[in-house]
Amino acid sequence: MKKILIAILIIVSVINAQAQYNNLWIPDTLSGTTFNLNIKDTFRQIVSTGQQTITGGINGNFWGPTLFINKGDVVHMNVKNNLNDTTTLHWHGMHLPAVMDGGPHQTIPPGTTWQPYWTVNNNAATYWYHPHLHEMTEEQITKGIGGLIIVRDVVESALPLPRKYGVDDIPLVLTDRDFSSANQFQVVPYGDSMLTNGTLRAQYSVPAQVIRFRILNGAIERSYNIGFSDSRSFSVITSDGGLLNAPVAVTKYLLHAGERVEILVNCTGQNGTSVDLKAYNSLLAGSVAGGENFPNGPFANFLGKKDFNLLHLNIGAQTANPITNFPTSLITNVLLNSANANVTRKLTMTDSAGVPGILGPNAFILNHKLFSLNVNDYSVPLNNTEIWEITNTTAFGHPFHIHDVEFNILDVNGVAPVPAQAGWKDVVFVPGKVGPNGTPQVVRFIAKFDDFADSLHPFMFHCHISLHEDEGMMGQFVVTDKTTGIRNIEKNNPLFSIYPNPTSAKIFVKMDEKNASAYYVKILNALGRTILMLPRPDLSQGIDISSFPKGIYHLILTDEKYKQTTSKTFVVE
Amino acid sequence: MKSKLLIFYPFMLIAFALFSFKSSIQKMVLDFSLKNVNDKIVSTSSYKNAKGFIIVFTCNHCPFAKLYSKRLNDLNAKYSKLNVPLLAINSMDSLVYEEETFELMKQKAKKDKFNFPYLQDANQTIGKLFGAEHTPTAYVIWKEKNHWTIKYVGSIDDNGEHPEKATPFISNAVDELLQNKNVTESETESFGCRIFYRKN
Repeated sequence: MKKILIAILIIVSVINAQAQYNNLWIPDTLSGTTFNLNIKDTFRQIVSTGQQTITGGINGNFWGPTLFINKGDVVHMNVKNNLNDTTTLHWHGMHLPAVMDGGPHQTIPPGTTWQPYWTVNNNAATYWYHPHLHEMTEEQITKGIGGLIIVRDVVESALPLPRKYGVDDIPLVLTDRDFSSANQFQVVPYGDSMLTNGTLRAQYSVPAQVIRFRILNGAIERSYNIGFSDSRSFSVITSDGGLLNAPVAVTKYLLHAGERVEILVNCTGQNGTSVDLKAYNSLLAGSVAGGENFPNGPFANFLGKKDFNLLHLNIGAQTANPITNFPTSLITNVLLNSANANVTRKLTMTDSAGVPGILGPNAFILNHKLFSLNVNDYSVPLNNTEIWEITNTTAFGHPFHIHDVEFNILDVNGVAPVPAQAGWKDVVFVPGKVGPNGTPQVVRFIAKFDDFADSLHPFMFHCHISLHEDEGMMGQFVVTDKTTGIRNIEKNNPLFSIYPNPTSAKIFVKMDEKNASAYYVKILNALGRTILMLPRPDLSQGIDISSFPKGIYHLILTDEKYKQTTSKTFVVE
Repeated sequence: MKSKLLIFYPFMLIAFALFSFKSSIQKMVLDFSLKNVNDKIVSTSSYKNAKGFIIVFTCNHCPFAKLYSKRLNDLNAKYSKLNVPLLAINSMDSLVYEEETFELMKQKAKKDKFNFPYLQDANQTIGKLFGAEHTPTAYVIWKEKNHWTIKYVGSIDDNGEHPEKATPFISNAVDELLQNKNVTESETESFGCRIFYRKN
């Protein structure tokens, strides 16, 4: 009888322990080469009782699908903006043309479909997509708009790594949010509640084998110092933009806003046990986001300078054909050589004291000025290999992100990067100086700009803390190709014809000039609303207008060579 | 008797603005007129027996606002008989967002069988006057001498997806006002899809 009572007590206590958790939500997946992404206002029951939370979602009601794409494929995105506000969708980490990049210049008006496409050049790793509308990024990311991209390639596919999505290959999107008394997200830099994949107090069951976690820091500001509650060692296998040469064993890994890391954790032989994945943020310095502990004001938050759970893991039965060991090596990275650099660009991070503008002295800026959409900061010659040297004179660390390229960190204050950071990166943490009279901190990285010259559309570089970026801690550059530059010659408006007109299924465009091509095509309806945006379209197959209501439309074409624009009218019947 | 239809002209904005206070509660508003989905002008002044109105800022596309169609019909069915009719107003920027055009408002009213006027605030002036920031946002205004006073502002209730679990803020407020009582919970949080106002 006593044994039965003890057993009942154990069962009840286990049930109670489980009850405090919610099962981790795993984003749906899409794969192939054509992806339909519908960005929309929506809502979701995030807090278990009471009012639903107003959210933004892509296809679903929070966040978006994980896109599986293969290196070498040409992928086509049909991005429909069904928000009632303009947005953009940036493919973070993707090496692609600036006009497809989804930065602040590639805006998508409400109701419009944007159709970028590109050849996947990136190495196998975890990337992501998110809004990048200037001064609205924090608000739109807070709503939950975004998603993961998993690139696969033949090299990674040949390695003995877990890749059963949601079973032994698990995506983890780390964010934190503040909820109002009516369960609504507040647009603030730090939240009081941890959300892992949009799940409060998340738990997940994993098999007793090697588990791969693909972790994105999708927070507005906070960094997460990741580790396990039993202090177990785990291995880092990627930096942002590809596999490392070999797994790097660590017990903690500090992940900053915008960064991704893939880790391997060995749960072999642990069936029936549990362990917590945690953020050990009590260990963070005050100069690292999340290491502060403001009692009041806009930065006050419950999680500041604390350790807290990211995911409670229940380890269950092993699957068939499990991975039970870590590989000893991964790939051979050929990193860029600083001896080949054409130029060193020097950037500074400062606060905004004394800088004209609408902001107070407490915002952060790059190169002593606020970002302007109308100012190009750098022209990078095509095929340049460049060292970017970033000096942070502020007392706060900033995760610096550059579009277009993956780079290699050369050094942080003269010291080579730790092995887990010695691969391809697109975000680098530039530490804050220690103490008011501390020494400015310097990070150098090297990148090669070997593609995608475009004199009109720039790439961005910025602090990936959305609040800082929105406030103007951002700059932009164009990649220039002198061999094709057009200067001081007459620029002709493009001549072209469209047919058939009237039409009902497709409209074809024929350029009059031989070898001429389109840089951009926009189609507007009779009221002037933009319906379709086609960067660098392949016009050979015609433009599908079969879903257009009957009426008059305007096709506005910008040509590739002269970047001049002409419009023509057609009728859909 | 000829009704005093107050067609909304720009000069009236000034009058309204003068009667606007910073806090929504106890703010006074004058009569206003907007076009209904049946193409007729609806004016608060034409409801001679109205003790008050339930004013709900809503729209066509917002998924959260869509949850409330039946509840709005129920509120109007119950309270219009008690001389507190419901007026729904769409202040979304229909120039920017096609989903909110007058034609689509007509379709929505028909599809959802609205038993109340669904008014287009084409110039966004009434939305600005009330200070409505999201759809849905509800107000209860009550007649006091020759103007209306805002007695309640906020959510329709506190559970969009599960009406059976919701606290009916609007009903509670109107019931109290009908009993000549003060509104116990006069202000709740409003949220939903943001109303973006055009810059003038």
